[in-house]
Amino acid sequence: MARSKVVVVRGKGVLTQEGDIHQEKLSRMYNRGLQILAGLRNSAEALSLLFKKNDRVGIKINTIAGRKMSPRPDVSLTLANLLEKSGIPQRNIIIWDRTNRELKDAGYHLSLNRSGLKVLGTDTDGIGYSTELTSHLNIGSLFSLIQSNMITASISLAVLKDHGMAGVTAGMKNYFGAIHNPNKYHDFNCDPFIAELFETKYIKKKHKLSILDSLIVQYHLGPSFHSRWTKKYKALIFSLDPVAADFVGWQLIEKFRSEKGLASLKEEMREPGYLKTAEKMGLGNAHLDNIQIIEEEV
Amino acid sequence: MKRRQFFKAAGGASLLATTGLINQPPLSLMDLYAFSGNANLSKVEARYYNKHPDREIECVLCPRFCKLGDKERGYCGVRENMGGIYYTLVYGKACTVYVDPIEKKPLFHFLPTSSALSIATAGCNVNCKFCQNWEISQVRPEQIQHFDFPPRTVVEYAQKHKSPIIAYTYSEPVIFYEYMYDTSLEARKKGIKSVVITGGHINPEPLEELIKVVDAIKIDLKAFSQDFYTSYVRGELQPVLEAIKIVHKKRIWLEIVYLVIPTLNDSPKEIRSLAQWIMKEIGPDVPIHFSRFNPMYLVKNLPQTPVSTLERARRAALDEGLNYVYIGNVWSHEAESTFCPNCKNIVIPRKGYQIGKIELKQGRCKFCNNRIPGIWS
Repeated sequence: MARSKVVVVRGKGVLTQEGDIHQEKLSRMYNRGLQILAGLRNSAEALSLLFKKNDRVGIKINTIAGRKMSPRPDVSLTLANLLEKSGIPQRNIIIWDRTNRELKDAGYHLSLNRSGLKVLGTDTDGIGYSTELTSHLNIGSLFSLIQSNMITASISLAVLKDHGMAGVTAGMKNYFGAIHNPNKYHDFNCDPFIAELFETKYIKKKHKLSILDSLIVQYHLGPSFHSRWTKKYKALIFSLDPVAADFVGWQLIEKFRSEKGLASLKEEMREPGYLKTAEKMGLGNAHLDNIQIIEEEV
Repeated sequence: MKRRQFFKAAGGASLLATTGLINQPPLSLMDLYAFSGNANLSKVEARYYNKHPDREIECVLCPRFCKLGDKERGYCGVRENMGGIYYTLVYGKACTVYVDPIEKKPLFHFLPTSSALSIATAGCNVNCKFCQNWEISQVRPEQIQHFDFPPRTVVEYAQKHKSPIIAYTYSEPVIFYEYMYDTSLEARKKGIKSVVITGGHINPEPLEELIKVVDAIKIDLKAFSQDFYTSYVRGELQPVLEAIKIVHKKRIWLEIVYLVIPTLNDSPKEIRSLAQWIMKEIGPDVPIHFSRFNPMYLVKNLPQTPVSTLERARRAALDEGLNYVYIGNVWSHEAESTFCPNCKNIVIPRKGYQIGKIELKQGRCKFCNNRIPGIWS
């Protein structure tokens, strides 16, 4: 497999003293990240390369941890805005997660606007889960109709977090929120379930881009929010390789843990082995030798 | 309730009818209407969990011992850590309500011909790849229609329908432990018996407490090998065997079901080992039912169990000395009936859920006076 590019863009001053997001700086981070990732002049060109004009694009976010540790509306709406600028009609963009309650708790205003951007949960009346069981290796699940039917292309936009069982939750595990029974896949550090779920037709064929929201990283006691164990890293991480993106995220979590004298995930018996499994399945790279990390500050 | 919700509710309740499990009419639509008020999830504190620092908890209800951070749910999908307190979300929230014959559970030595008001909530603490009821067991409570059906109402309903038994069944009652426990307690006050239809994946302490308020337990032993439990159940065999021993030791009525799946758990060696274990640990008088598998859920690549396989399993168990060995899910097979192990006469003839003349007198065979173990009145 060819080397995978992972772009880490840090935004100086993207978080204000009050912890709010500086909108203009966030936009610059997105622009620069996508530009470097695609090797093109700007984000619109980069996104045009990934998405067709008639694609219906889902931005899957992870909002289980509430307002303080979920992708903020600013982060996902800025991405939606860039998609629109690249030529995708606003009505064909959906920001989504599994429940409306979690979206609202994370600060989102739901929107079912037929002609505009949509923000909604799978539990929205009239959506729900497929009645057809998707069976693949150890996976047997019903998919959110958003993932299976409504969208044609997907971006995983997830906050980078430590996870008590998986070790790390980021772009790949985010798709646990696309099925009806994620609680069944947490045994054995979620390995091989995260990788096998990713390989199902509704994800592997549609996933185009991983973006790890690493503005604030939860590096211990995740996935719920614990302020003591967060790091204001002020970064967005971009990759077309879902495994490589999460692998780089994992290394960051280990670095932050080490800085605070915490045991490594391996020592805590929760190393994210699903990344190696994903690599073996050909889903991406999970070794530094095969990953080109490009870091930049804007 | 709006008309649309009403029909949605009715559709949800007839779920099992579409799976071929039902032989009696479901409750009337008006009954369901009466139960359907506010169907939000419950928020009742769970009884078996330990609190840890940083709002983490450890569930100790079943052998999974789920360790969960704030806002996370257990493997069962129906218990959630909210700010360091663990809640059951399905207390009084039945998703399935039916009146079944007790033989359907199956419990063959427990008040034969009686009806059992049978209830379930969403959720399960294992994930059997051959589950017959996965549409309710493998979902979260908010993903299916459910009804407000608190313990006292369940008991009143059993009285109204003249059901002497309430059965906790269909999904996995261990995961709605608090609801089951309180309903059983309420039922006992009114002279109604409670039976639990379970996979037996429960820890000893909650099981021993439960045994104090229920009258019979049927345990689905999915196989007699850990490999099978790992691959096809996502659970542990040993705790189930321990549960069987505890139920027997506490002297409440116990029956065992073993679903025989071709090539997966049907080897003569495994069946014989199982029968030997039963003989040694709980004796010859605990009924065991070898049930026929039908392709379902995630195991659709195997055929229905041949009747000859079931007969071979039955023969092995009888050879090992077990007295009450049944064949299930095979219509009109002679091994549906209860034979007196002493005189070999049929004392309870069965065809499906139809029961013929019962040839027992005060729990003894009418032909030879041999005691037939069970709860007969």
